[in-house]
Amino acid sequence: MACFCHLFIEYVGKISLMEGPSMLPTLAVSGELVIEDRLSIHLNPSNISRGELLVLKSPLDSRRLICKRVAGLPGDIVCVDPTGEKAPSTEHVIIPEGHLWIIGDNAPFSRDSRTYGPVSMGLVKAKLRARVWPPTSFQIFRSNMAYID
Amino acid sequence: MSWRARFTALPFWRSGTSDKPNGSSGLRKILYWSPLGIVLCCRIFEVKVITGRSMQPTLNPDWSLSRDVGLFDRTSVLVDEDIGREDIVVLKSPNDQRRKLIKRIVAVEGDTVNTLPPYPFKKVVVPQGHVWVEGDDYYNSDDSNLFGPVRRFPLCLNPCSNVVQVPRGLIESKLLCLLWPLDRFGAIGNHSPPESRAHPAFRRAMAVIERESARRARVTPGPWPGFSPSQQ
Repeated sequence: MACFCHLFIEYVGKISLMEGPSMLPTLAVSGELVIEDRLSIHLNPSNISRGELLVLKSPLDSRRLICKRVAGLPGDIVCVDPTGEKAPSTEHVIIPEGHLWIIGDNAPFSRDSRTYGPVSMGLVKAKLRARVWPPTSFQIFRSNMAYID
Repeated sequence: MSWRARFTALPFWRSGTSDKPNGSSGLRKILYWSPLGIVLCCRIFEVKVITGRSMQPTLNPDWSLSRDVGLFDRTSVLVDEDIGREDIVVLKSPNDQRRKLIKRIVAVEGDTVNTLPPYPFKKVVVPQGHVWVEGDDYYNSDDSNLFGPVRRFPLCLNPCSNVVQVPRGLIESKLLCLLWPLDRFGAIGNHSPPESRAHPAFRRAMAVIERESARRARVTPGPWPGFSPSQQ
């Protein structure tokens, strides 16, 4: 039975607790439960669109999971940091094949692709589908709701 | 039925026909126990056939008649210290996550590597959370990894390199031992001293030792805490 639960969590999805300030307008600093959808990543790993919320393994520490929004897909040209804070604002990058450009919604408090560059799609673990707790702020995350152009 | 009788009953594949008239109980038991089997065979240990020439001559050497079959350990990924220099690992290709690569870890984070020709820079310090992996056969690059360092500057795409720098999160499992060609069964790397110099095995063993020392000479262990240089 434990094995079944493990397989279900690993391949289908689960409810998990979110933490951290990097996604602040969308997700609170702590105490929110969201539904992670791992099945669609396993079935169709390349089906990721801009503006979706993803859960990934951190490229800096493989044991940590991070949650970020997709800003760029393979082939896109991205300005590394328009504010010029972490990189000169004229620096642009072509995202290579099989990589994503991810950013946090709360830019000043987020370590994301501006710091470590494009991340490989192999690090993506799940998509965030909905927030289920607290019940007053139930919300289904859609990519067109907060589309970053 | 007492508990003793229950536990000494026939195995599940016969139980459907023997004691009960319902034939579905065997199937139900298979369904009940299959998650355990899947977890053991796919999440903890894994048996895989190794294809490709990039790890020659350690794996799939030319003189071998069949492909190698290896036993891989997936749990070692959970502990950073379990995966260090000189380990052979299976990882997702950074460019195409459906492809799996098998490579040897040459350097871990903080190390300085003297790179090989197709790479655009002479020396590279492996960034935090990354490892430097190479195939054992530098010149045979039919797996042609198309990626340079995963850093902020535009990636250098070198179609003929066998050298990659990848985040640890892409590593899936570690090679424990070889299972199939029975003459090379067992853990990799304990090349016994050859008996006579005339035997071709002597040449091979010498080449392996030479390759190993050349590989280690290119890596300067970094001052990163938690990773001591492997003492071999």
